[in-house]
Amino acid sequence: MTNYGLVIDQERCIGCQACAVSCKQENNVPMGQFWNRVLTEGGDKIDTPSGGYPDDGGSGSLDMQYQPTACQHCENAPCVKVCPVNATYTRDDGIVEIDYDKCIGCRYCMAACPYNARVFNWDEPEHMPEAGTGDVAARPQGVVEKCTFCSHRVDEGLDPACVVNCPADARIFGDLDDEGSTVSKYINEYETDQLLEDRGTNPKTHYISGEMSPGRPQTSDKMESELDDVSPWSDGAEDVPAEASESDSSGSGGSHHSIEGDAAPHVPAVGSGGDD
Amino acid sequence: MAADTSRIAIPAFGTKGKLWLGLLATVIVAGLAAWGYQLTTGLVATGMRNVFSWGLYIMMFVLFVGLSAGGLIISSAPKFFHSHRYEGFARLGVLVSLACITVAGLLILPDIGRPERLYQFFTSPDFRSPMVWDFGIVILYGVLNLWYLWLLTRRDLAARGSPLALGVDDTDAGRERDRTLMFWTAALALPTAVALHSVTGWIFATQIGRGDWFSPLVAPVFIAKALVSGLGLLLVVSVLADRLTNYEVDREELTSLGKILGVFLALHVVYLLAAERLPHAWANHFEFWAITSGFLIGESVYFWLWTVVGGAVPLVMLMIPSLRKRVSVIFTASLLAVFGTMFEGVRLVFTGYEVANIDLPPGISLGGEYAGITTDIWATAGAYTPTLVEVVVTLGIVAFGALIVTLGLKYVPIQRVDGQYATDGGTKERQ
Repeated sequence: MTNYGLVIDQERCIGCQACAVSCKQENNVPMGQFWNRVLTEGGDKIDTPSGGYPDDGGSGSLDMQYQPTACQHCENAPCVKVCPVNATYTRDDGIVEIDYDKCIGCRYCMAACPYNARVFNWDEPEHMPEAGTGDVAARPQGVVEKCTFCSHRVDEGLDPACVVNCPADARIFGDLDDEGSTVSKYINEYETDQLLEDRGTNPKTHYISGEMSPGRPQTSDKMESELDDVSPWSDGAEDVPAEASESDSSGSGGSHHSIEGDAAPHVPAVGSGGDD
Repeated sequence: MAADTSRIAIPAFGTKGKLWLGLLATVIVAGLAAWGYQLTTGLVATGMRNVFSWGLYIMMFVLFVGLSAGGLIISSAPKFFHSHRYEGFARLGVLVSLACITVAGLLILPDIGRPERLYQFFTSPDFRSPMVWDFGIVILYGVLNLWYLWLLTRRDLAARGSPLALGVDDTDAGRERDRTLMFWTAALALPTAVALHSVTGWIFATQIGRGDWFSPLVAPVFIAKALVSGLGLLLVVSVLADRLTNYEVDREELTSLGKILGVFLALHVVYLLAAERLPHAWANHFEFWAITSGFLIGESVYFWLWTVVGGAVPLVMLMIPSLRKRVSVIFTASLLAVFGTMFEGVRLVFTGYEVANIDLPPGISLGGEYAGITTDIWATAGAYTPTLVEVVVTLGIVAFGALIVTLGLKYVPIQRVDGQYATDGGTKERQ
């Protein structure tokens, strides 16, 4: 069975908010609401570290990290269990989703979610531009909404918008039940945590901290499973941005210094196998 | 049977009665208008936002579920044990219970974002959800109260020729059979009341994401709270009815119930609260006095309103023998107990939403303006003040409950004046 999960490499995350913004754009999230937030671990304000500078006898203990946070798509999802009308449910592929035509707006799921991942449309949702953005229909007033792992994209064999738009390749989406998938391999290889593990929700979002992973190993929009089986990112021309493959085929030895090459820093300049 | 075996509390509305009805109607209409306004603008008209997503409606729901306990228990417990104790309170108690459970059920409506979809409870229920359990038990409890009130009064209604008898005749055999039915209804009412308060407690107690909600003690505390506030309200209403209508309260029974209220207060506000707080205080502190103060000193004004104003003060009033026989003391103590219990529900909701588990900056998007807390859309902690709209809607629903009690006093023979009280059934025992 497919069981989708997400790995977020906090060592790679640069706090640029691209995932938060592309999520909002792709999913037509109303003004005043975010499904995906990039939180700052450190100081009291966004983008501020804790600790002090190492000058004037200061401790030199400056520390800061980013924690992108959205629906964790828990295995033991409290929101699914509390929903009185089955509006929130777990799909066969593990994605926790809401049927916006069923939701009665009781907000019990918001009480149940330990991550505050859910938002409620307190008034008629406002979109900018008015026609809305992205590929998802607007949700009405009076229902709860949240991250769907971009299930509309996943159904078409595409990675979630936050994943493909992460410039640091810090987000890796894939099948947790497939031992060969990058998410499974990273969870085995690296030190990963789930948020609020003690609550027993068993989230399908895993955070890497400590040692940096090689990140998302493909440049395509598509999910890993949709790509060719063997070393897809080195031999499938359609999976590599056209410019990058052109610069590769041009035989320029310094191609990885070019702007095109920098767009995919983990792609080896030579067409050899993968890096993991 | 003669019609004088029962008494109507309000034979006809006088000037004061009509003013009272006019006031209730005004508040109900204002509540409906406020709800209409809230339906068009959305729940943005309330003080609730994404971090603090349940507010006054749920706090008052918790209160009124508790309030609905007293009357039914006071009238059904003696009947279950074939006693005629507190018979004078039996019908009034069930009437008050019926009004309170109606208020509790109605309070859910304005809290729902899309009330027109409530039929989903029937077409697509998830039986894992404590809210489905509660939905079922609230409806069952309401129906049970309605049936019980009718059962207690239907022969008297028939004797008066009231259409509310629904065609039942007043016969001796019928009265005899009703005593058996009352026993079995009482036998059903007691476990239903226990289930109602436990299930309402479990709505909160099952949640791992909201601080102190996740505690096995919540359900027993809800039972104790229901005993305190429900009995308190019954005493308040009976004293008021005694003063304002033809209903006559039995002084001896009133004093006796006042003592019982004191016992309930001691169980609830002293014992269960201590049992809940001591382990946390002990585990979180090291020094003896730090443990002691962690145990004794609450964290918010709601805590003090509940435990002192609604707990210690009425408990002391009901403990002093020279005081507790006075009707004014019993009335005040009961009123304080109900008032304090309101803040227990307020405090419960606050403990769940005040602190976010993940409170890293910038925080959680609020989904609307959050006046006074932050100037942008983010918050790292919950804060809540009810808006005027919420207050008016709530008052309108409470006024509807008061209207139920008032009309009950007008149309239902609320007191028996003959001596045949005890139920029959279960055993072959006769009076």
